[in-house]
Amino acid sequence: MDKRDELIKIFPKDIRVILGQVSVDFNQIQEIRLRIQAPLLMIYNNREYYITPSGKLSKRAEEAYLVSRQELKETLEQMSNYSLYAFEEEIKQGFITICGGHRIGIAGKTIVDEHGIRTMKFISFINVRISHQVRGCADGVLPYLYERGDILHTLIISPPRCGKTTLLRDIIRQVSNGNGPEPGMTVGVVDERSEIGACYQGIPQNELGIRTDILDCCPKVQGMMMLIRTMSPRVIAVDEIGSRADLEAIEYVMNCGCKLIATVHGSSIDDMKQKPVLGRMMQEKWFERYIILNNNGKIGNLDQIYDSRGNQLYGGFLYD
Amino acid sequence: MTPGAINYMGAFFMISFGMKLVGCCLIISGASGYGFWLARRYGERLEALEYLRQMIYLLKGQILYANAPLAEAFETVGRRTEGFLAELFLQAADRTYRQEGEPFAQMWKDTVEQMDKDSPLAPKDRQSLKDLGEHLGFLDRDMQERNLLLYLEQLDLEIQKMRGQKQERSRLYTSLGIMGGLFLAVLLC
Repeated sequence: MDKRDELIKIFPKDIRVILGQVSVDFNQIQEIRLRIQAPLLMIYNNREYYITPSGKLSKRAEEAYLVSRQELKETLEQMSNYSLYAFEEEIKQGFITICGGHRIGIAGKTIVDEHGIRTMKFISFINVRISHQVRGCADGVLPYLYERGDILHTLIISPPRCGKTTLLRDIIRQVSNGNGPEPGMTVGVVDERSEIGACYQGIPQNELGIRTDILDCCPKVQGMMMLIRTMSPRVIAVDEIGSRADLEAIEYVMNCGCKLIATVHGSSIDDMKQKPVLGRMMQEKWFERYIILNNNGKIGNLDQIYDSRGNQLYGGFLYD
Repeated sequence: MTPGAINYMGAFFMISFGMKLVGCCLIISGASGYGFWLARRYGERLEALEYLRQMIYLLKGQILYANAPLAEAFETVGRRTEGFLAELFLQAADRTYRQEGEPFAQMWKDTVEQMDKDSPLAPKDRQSLKDLGEHLGFLDRDMQERNLLLYLEQLDLEIQKMRGQKQERSRLYTSLGIMGGLFLAVLLC
């Protein structure tokens, strides 16, 4: 099934007809947004367009197709394959991952109880974020991540929307499959927000390699412990660390002899040093490599690579 | 009157009497058969409703405890059971997997309408089965549970009512069939 079919399938009949007439490369679509009684929008090649009833992309709001309440309800029905109840846990977090790894962000009225968000009702806003894998985007980074045939504890530091999860995904894939002279290793992934593997009914929709085990929608701290006890991974990969609880789990992972690859929000090494948890990790040289990304120019711009002592190993543009 | 004519009339009356007798027997057996068929049909409907209740319990388990999506839940239950209701569940699963863009309620309604016309379910059973699809799949598990429990309650009431009346109805249908047949036979002769 190609991307067009995968995407069109999640909409009700009327919107299917409109999107079916849109003559764009579906691989370049970033987002499709639906709001009740608001224009149907598409983010295509970093630009926002209104979609007209005849399936054309327009810059004029008055030409846009307006999404009705019923269509939004039916979209929710279709994207969950008529089983919204089966996505209860995901709805609490505000997103659903569908076949193909695409993520549907949802917003509406949240119902809160003493345990936190219980569910969401009157869902009126939907953002379909199309999944993009960049295979090979870690090619330039990988030579810096190995020493004597073994992978090093690595931390990817990046501001939001700079491609840190995309880079982590490709590192996992290549470490798991093996790359060049380096043999493949068993990788355990704790995918708390289903962003790395984008599992749909337990099956990863993104390619994470042949030796990768994924704990989907599992809290990082428990997940790391569980993986070590049950799947004996050589490498553990997690996204967006930073809490005090993470610190203990990471320490446990490193003491077990596993290697850790993690990402964190931040903009520079100095920025990291200011943060209480990460500052301690850096001071005690827990990580052996720091990869810093920025968004200068384009997404996935590699800024620098440092070793544990703070020596700069690389600086400059690395991948498209 | 000549002896030949008397013989001829006698034979005529005999044949006519014989035909009437055969006709009466056919009417009585036909009407009685219809009565027995109605009584059996009543029992079959009761059995179908009891079986449906069992299937809905299985579906509830799949949805609430296995957290299976609707298509998978219908398929699992359909494969574990048999008969026209299992066929209905498998067809619903197939259409749900295909995701043709229509709302689930509409799809379920169409599937129930296409169900085996010779099935023992009464029109009102079919209607309440169609209504089950109105809220199935949407919102959270609580909603699914309540929806399924409401339907199970309706089924229970119908089953109880039918069980209470089973003996009486069966006797009524069979005796009405026989008596009706006798009455028609007398009337026509």
